[in-house]
This record gives sequence, structure tokens and C-alpha cells, in this order.
Amino acid sequence: MPDRLSFYLKKNSIIHALNPFTKLTLVFAIVTYGLIGAGFWTATILVCLALLPLAFTARLLKEYLGVAVKLILPTAGFMFVMQSIFIPGGTTEIFRLGSISIELETVQRSYLIASRIFLFISAFALLLLTTHPSELMTNLTQRGLPPQFAYVIISTLQIIPQMQAKSLTIIAAQRSRGLDTESSFIKRIGLLVPLVGPLVFGSLVEVEERAIAIEARGFTSTHKKTYLHEVPDTNLDRAIRTILIALIIVAVVWRVWPS
Amino acid sequence: MAIVNLQNVTYKYPLTEKPALQNIDLQMKEGEFVAVIGPNGAGKSTLCYTLAGFVPHFFKGELTGSVEVARNETSKSNLHEWVLNVGLAFQNPFNQISGAKYTVFEEIAFGLENIGVPREEMKGRVKEAMKMTGISDLADRSPYSLSGGQQQRVALTSILVMQPKVLVLDEPTSQMDPIGTREVFSVVRTMAERGMTVILAEHKMEWIANFADRVIALHEGQILVDGKPGEVLTSDVLTEKGFGISRYTSVARRARELGLWKRDTLPVTLEEAVKGFKE
Repeated sequence: MPDRLSFYLKKNSIIHALNPFTKLTLVFAIVTYGLIGAGFWTATILVCLALLPLAFTARLLKEYLGVAVKLILPTAGFMFVMQSIFIPGGTTEIFRLGSISIELETVQRSYLIASRIFLFISAFALLLLTTHPSELMTNLTQRGLPPQFAYVIISTLQIIPQMQAKSLTIIAAQRSRGLDTESSFIKRIGLLVPLVGPLVFGSLVEVEERAIAIEARGFTSTHKKTYLHEVPDTNLDRAIRTILIALIIVAVVWRVWPS
Repeated sequence: MAIVNLQNVTYKYPLTEKPALQNIDLQMKEGEFVAVIGPNGAGKSTLCYTLAGFVPHFFKGELTGSVEVARNETSKSNLHEWVLNVGLAFQNPFNQISGAKYTVFEEIAFGLENIGVPREEMKGRVKEAMKMTGISDLADRSPYSLSGGQQQRVALTSILVMQPKVLVLDEPTSQMDPIGTREVFSVVRTMAERGMTVILAEHKMEWIANFADRVIALHEGQILVDGKPGEVLTSDVLTEKGFGISRYTSVARRARELGLWKRDTLPVTLEEAVKGFKE
């Protein structure tokens, strides 16, 4: 049972030490280039020449590849296959399977979309692998994100594993009173009914108590908040962000400029 | 000048007919440690919420009479100002963990972050509060990995660190073993001696007798008895109205009927009972 829900892996690397906002800007820059880069291979090249070296620098190449292969590749791959087969519009037929024909143009377009999706998700995955969620949220709150929003994100990450644990307790309690959990699939769907009541309604009651608890600790105070942890923002961070923002502007201007 | 002053307070929760509190008059001095007893549904929690400002600001409903704490009047104040004077910890420790923090140290600092305490002062106050409640060794643990009793102490520390003038505790020891209970009571006693005013809703009579300055018995939203622990906890009215009483009181009362208890007053704690029976 994980006691929290997060990708974060602590490592001693220059990427980990960067300010979360710098990393977020980096992700944004990569996404921008992936989207407006004209070439067919842009997204693929960005994965190979930006994300892989970054993951290597963060000492997380193995973990990054693990997430990419297990989580992102199936999603992107599925999209690629489905789009290639079912989106019509191409002219150059590569081969035909019964009534379905697969055209070169469709395959190319599908690859473009799938590789972009792979790029976006894995850029974010890399951000989450190298940034502690509370550090990210603290930093964004300091930069003007409403604390309520940050609270919802962080508490959800923590409370989901708690709810999983609670549902196991409820199931155990119901089983000890004779509820059948090992018969047919249909019967086991019925098991959800006695589980949902205590879990959902119990959680709703908890929400009120939790609201009281955080209110009692001044959550809605109008004082300017302070922060226990200082999230370092170095000159290097600022320099990197300036370059990235310049690169983003160049890309956008280049794309929008009437040629 | 009383720090807590309730005059003729009557309160009804929204959509209910029967008032949860009726004509409550209550004054408390600074540094007083007052315990509130009563059967379930007597209004203990409602009284706690009223003192802590959640009635009426959070629960809405209909409040009449005047509630004044540290010279602020509840009807003229709002919740986020009120909580600076009055701290509240309640029964279920799990729901008092904010969920926004990954370590106990951060969890305790959460309230101080919200009210804008500077970083260095914050660290000092958190360390001091953890030392006082004896949880310094839990600083780097995840609040969710703790036992119920430990979580309850974290919740209590999270409130104490904010240094409220009045501390309201609603059955904080219900999930604790006797050792945890003793720690909570002695921390609270120390806070009262340092001038914090404490109001504690609690079922554990022997502990109340040992630690509180004054006891209020609530019954159906009204104050039934108000006085010194020794008098209130042994009063015959409690038994008539179905309050849980200390086993030592029951034994001595039976002994008195049989002519075996010679003292005029009945005991609440083991020590008093032993002394009385030796005479």
C-alpha cells in the first residue's frame, strides 16, 4: 500500500535542484515546439534530443523509460493504430484488409499526432518525476495560484490512497459478516453496492470535519501567507527561464509571421 | 474580566425544531480549565463549536444571546479572525490532518503559514510545540502513517502552536490509550497554568477530577450543574439524569447505603476512594 500517490523520485541532480517553475517553463517550451514545429519528425527529435538527455541528467533514465513504455507508449500506440485504420482521407494506399484500406497520408498524420501526445505526456511525467508535488504547489501558490486550488490537488493525491485503504477495511468488514466476494463476476458487481454507501457517504461527512479542521487553522485567513520551505530560485533558474521564454516567443512569432 | 462570556445563548441548527443549546450563561476566567460533561446529544459539541466560532459562522442556524470571547462578540466578527483567539481540536484525529502536507513538521506549521508567521519564528514555534506534546521524534514521518493516538497529538500540537487565548477540545482523548490520555491532560494542564483558558468536553470522569478546575454538566442543551469537580461529579442529579459516573463514586454510594462509607463527600478517583475506605 503506497502511503502517497506521486511519481516523485528523490535524486541528487541538477534537474531536481531547479526551481519547479523553471521546469514548468521547460515543459511549456517543449510542448510549444512540439505543437508548432512544422517537421514530421519534430516531436520524435524532441523526445530523443531533449527528454532523454534531461532524464539522463536527472539520473532517472531507467525510471523515465519505464513510465514511457508502460504508461505513455500504450496510449500513444493505441491512438496511432486506431487513427491509421479508421480515419479516411489518404490517396496512396499501402495495403488493404478486406474493406479497410490504409493510406500513407493517414499513417503519417497519425504518427504526427501520436508522437506529439507521447512528447507532451512524457514531458509532464519528467516534471513530476523530478519535482515533489508539495514543492511544485507551494511554488505556484507563491506565484499567485489560489491556495484553495493547490490544496485540492495536494490533498487529493494524499487522500486517494487513504480511501483505497478504507475500502479494503469496509470489504473486510462486510466479508466477516458473510458477504460473498469470491463467486461469479456478476455477483461481485453487486458487492460494490454495500461498499459505495459507507465509502461515499462516509467521505462526505469527513469533508465537513476536514473543512472545520483547516478553517480552525486559519486557512481562509486574510493575512499574507508565509511558507515553511523556501523553494530556491537561483540566477541560473532565471537565466534558463529567460532563454526558454525567448525561444517560445521566437517559435510563436516565426509561426504567426506571414511568410 | 471574564475571557469567555456567554449570556442567555440559545442555538438551533438549520432545519431543526429543538434548540441544541438553551439559555446558556457561562463565564470563564483567564487560565481556567473547565471540563464539560454530558450524555451524547447533550450539546457538548455544539457548545464547543459555539466557543470556537463555528456556530453560527460555519453551521449557520439561529443563534440568540451574546457570545463574547477575548472581548470579541461573535455576531460582529468572522471566522478567520475568531480562530486567532480560539483554537479547536476535536474527536476524530484522521479528519484533522490537513492532507496538504507530507510530514508532521509541515503539518504543524500549516496553521502558522496561513496566518503569515515569518519562517524563522515558525520553525522555532513548531519545534517548541512538538517538544511540549512529546512528539519531536515524529517530525519527519507522514501524518498518515501514525497511529490514532499519535495523530490526535499532532492535531492538538497543530492548534497549540497557533497560541490561542482559549483552547476548545471536543473529546480529544476518545481514541487514546491511558498513557496518551495522561499526556494530553498534563499538556492541557500546563497550558492552563501558563494562562491559556481551556474548555474540554470529555467522558473520562477520573481524569477530569484530577485535572480540571471546574466542571459543567450539560443535559438536553442546558447547564444542569456547574461547580468544583468533586461536587459536580458526585452529585446525585447526575445519576438521576443518566450520566456516566466514576466507578469509585458508584461503589462509595452503595457503601454509604450499607453504612460502610463514613465521609460526607463521595470520591471520584481511586486515591480518594482508597483513603475513604481506610477510615
